[in-house]
Amino acid sequence: MKNLIESGVPIVDSPTRGKGKRKWSLGEKLLLGLTPRQYLIQAIRNPLNWIIGVIFAIGIPLIAGRFLFGLSFVTHSSNDYPWGLFLAFGLFAMVPLSASGFMLGTTVEIFGRHDFQPIERLALLNGLLGYFFAVVYLLVDLGQPWRLPYPMVVSFGTAAVLFLVAWHVATYLSVQVAEVSASFFEWIGWLPGKRFIRKIAIGLTVSGIILSTLHQGALGALFTYAPGKVHPLWYSSSFLWIFFFCSAIPAGLCMVIAVSTIVKKTMAWRCDEEFLDKLDSLTIGLAKGASLALITYLAIKLIGVAHDNEWAYLATGWGQWFMLELFIGVVLPIALFAWAIHNNRLGVIRFTAFLTVFGIILNRINTALIAFNWKLYQEIPHWREVVVCLTLFAVYLVTYRFILYRLPILYTWREQTDTVEELAKEKITYPKGNPAPVEMFRSMDD
Amino acid sequence: MDKKSTLKWLAWGMLIAGFFMASPLWGNAGEIPESLELQSLSELYEGVSFDHLLHMDMVGNCAACHHHGTGDPVEDENCARCHSYSKDTEVVSCGSCHPLEPFSPEYLREKEMDANRYHRDMPGLKAAYHQSCLGCHNEMGGPTGCQDCHPRTEAGDALFRAGAYAPESGAAAGHH
Amino acid sequence: MKGISRRRFLAASVIGGAATTLTMSKKAMGAGTFEGYPEGMGVLVDLTRCVGCRSCEAACNKEQKLPEPAMPFDDPSVFDQTGHGGQKRRPDENAYTVVNRYDPPGANHPLFRKLQCNHCNEPACLTSCFVSAYTKTREGAVVYNEKVCVGCRNCMIACPFQIPAYSYSSAFDPVIKKCIFCYDTRLKYGKPPACVEACPQGVLTFGHRKELIKIGQDRIKARPDRYVDHIYGETEVGGTGWMYLSGVPFEQAGFDTTLGKEPIISNVKEFLSTVPMVLAIWPALFTGFHLLARKKGHADEDHSHESQEDEKS
Repeated sequence: MKNLIESGVPIVDSPTRGKGKRKWSLGEKLLLGLTPRQYLIQAIRNPLNWIIGVIFAIGIPLIAGRFLFGLSFVTHSSNDYPWGLFLAFGLFAMVPLSASGFMLGTTVEIFGRHDFQPIERLALLNGLLGYFFAVVYLLVDLGQPWRLPYPMVVSFGTAAVLFLVAWHVATYLSVQVAEVSASFFEWIGWLPGKRFIRKIAIGLTVSGIILSTLHQGALGALFTYAPGKVHPLWYSSSFLWIFFFCSAIPAGLCMVIAVSTIVKKTMAWRCDEEFLDKLDSLTIGLAKGASLALITYLAIKLIGVAHDNEWAYLATGWGQWFMLELFIGVVLPIALFAWAIHNNRLGVIRFTAFLTVFGIILNRINTALIAFNWKLYQEIPHWREVVVCLTLFAVYLVTYRFILYRLPILYTWREQTDTVEELAKEKITYPKGNPAPVEMFRSMDD
Repeated sequence: MDKKSTLKWLAWGMLIAGFFMASPLWGNAGEIPESLELQSLSELYEGVSFDHLLHMDMVGNCAACHHHGTGDPVEDENCARCHSYSKDTEVVSCGSCHPLEPFSPEYLREKEMDANRYHRDMPGLKAAYHQSCLGCHNEMGGPTGCQDCHPRTEAGDALFRAGAYAPESGAAAGHH
Repeated sequence: MKGISRRRFLAASVIGGAATTLTMSKKAMGAGTFEGYPEGMGVLVDLTRCVGCRSCEAACNKEQKLPEPAMPFDDPSVFDQTGHGGQKRRPDENAYTVVNRYDPPGANHPLFRKLQCNHCNEPACLTSCFVSAYTKTREGAVVYNEKVCVGCRNCMIACPFQIPAYSYSSAFDPVIKKCIFCYDTRLKYGKPPACVEACPQGVLTFGHRKELIKIGQDRIKARPDRYVDHIYGETEVGGTGWMYLSGVPFEQAGFDTTLGKEPIISNVKEFLSTVPMVLAIWPALFTGFHLLARKKGHADEDHSHESQEDEKS
């Protein structure tokens, strides 16, 4: 891709091609403005595609097997362990990692921090895709996935936490589709749609906060149904939902840092200068937010232990595992963030973001699988279960990349007709003294 | 008359017939049967040929099995609180008090209507037999296997999936 | 059907999150404590009487038309079977009830315990089900409607007795399988379940739950040497329809004695009660934040891009 751009191939980033006013066709937009041959060559050159190809080759037949032969073909889910890796990782870990959408939405739209705008769309997309794939994981896990709409239309278990999760994830998914559709409307060139989304942005964002607060928490509350099964250190009937909600904040923020790091490394050609210029300072901003949230999370986790007087459990093997999880996922990130922010070490900040993401995944898998049924026995997921999880994750990556390549997420959709070449020569400048010079739909004419 | 109650009447009939069959011997031993065919419940198992005389000889005390009313003093302390001086009753057979269907809606309603009833927790006839026989057999070292007393009928084999009805191995291996 | 107005209402609130408030507060109110139907039936299981003949298992298999067992029901070797992780047998899709053997320390004979759904007064499975597939009937049975089950298996997570089982091997129609108290064929007509009728030892006493508690208390009172002074299920997790008497401490017979008296749903109420609060407070709170933040100096800027948009088009 880099080579193609260096050789002067125009990449779609505006409605029209070159100086002339000919509009890009949809096919051209889909191929990024490359010829099919060029597109194929860049795809074959990318080693990630080969790895994903191998994963698909093994994983897709297994997914087909799951639907043809039943869950027992791929999972170790049993009567004792009804929920396996699909939900532990796919639902309970993916959803907090997708809290980025509502976090950045709140920061930009509600608190008016428009300096975070360059990364807002990435955060929204990350949220949308994370939720969408959480639902995909859920569909693979559900016994009768074709009945997923039942809680919406057929039979209502209104007293159930899962009812709330289902409704809120569904509504929030539509909210996120609406939020992200602004970029889609730009890309296909339907401006009224974009303007409409712009008008209801505040409403969308506020409902996003409400729905997120509740279903992030509700995922934790799901485990309050199992007081005897989840180990006391991971269980708290009063606080479990707050733990899940609170840890979703650093999870979402760190996920944005992690994704933006990968994006910067692997598809810098797609990012505009503004994104690349601002990314470091934005990363520090996000890291500051994440560390505050982590400190809060650590505090309430300790309050949780004290509230239920679980100190004695800390001396057991479970206690050590609990403390290790907290150390890797919370204490160490707090310390590293503090040091790195103070010393402006972006590499360390980015590493710490990955560490925090890992810590959150570990916490969710601990709650749903490892510390679950602690009085019974440990269940080790079937290898096919792991492969199916990986395969779905690979689909997630491919979808993510497909969208980032095309929609104006990392770059600004230009309304007039510069080629990339010319844009590269042009140095974008902003009026000095304006703390937040960037607007989402800025026009170059300003 | 539905099948169930036909069965019930048939069972009662057999029980009474059993008594009459044994009745010529009652005179010899003071109206006490020497042997009994306990067939009231035979369906899954054949009836039990109960050697009453043998058991009388071994136990030597009617009250050990028949709570009270047999002339022997009541053994159970709890029963003795009311029944230590109870008169002999006319019938002492188990089935005269213990119901054949202790949980039928009719019997439960009957119990419910009778607010002053003390014996609200009376086992059914089947339970009374088994608790009494098996309890003692366990203590005294008598036979305790089901088929030691009553061989299983074909219907029993079918229910228990045993004998001719035994499953082919591995046929029903479910999910781990 | 009461769902109709609510269905319309919910459909209308798909976009606006705030409208959901009313539904949610209904939910929180619906979570009140429920003592069980007064006429509810139950079974008192007297473990001191059980000899492990497994007649109940055989009767259940026939009554519920369950698949053929792997071994005959009179084969005592099943008592030595252990499943995954050294677990004793548990009810599953092929057997709604199982009898397990325990060897309590110091006892000279083994102890047998029948496992099946305990038919809670306030069932965790029922309260956790998001399609309301479970019903607690007036007769005391907890029954399940497989026609609406999505297969999320949350009921299996929630059940404190680990009873609901799932037919994992079925690809196209996997459903929850559990004891239904022979509701359809017997309980509905006032008759005892098949296992109770089959039991030769009078281990199982069928009757009104209230009456069974009295019977249990009387048995303990009459034979304090024979019984532990507790009816398991009288108060556990809000009370269960099936209750147990034991001669050894209940934990030695594999019972979870740490469940407490509160129904499982009580643990979830704290969260459920916060839901309407969040729905009521958050919109105003965050819109307020937004207004405050705008006044701080971004007000005109916030509008700038919108006006630009308008100019352009």
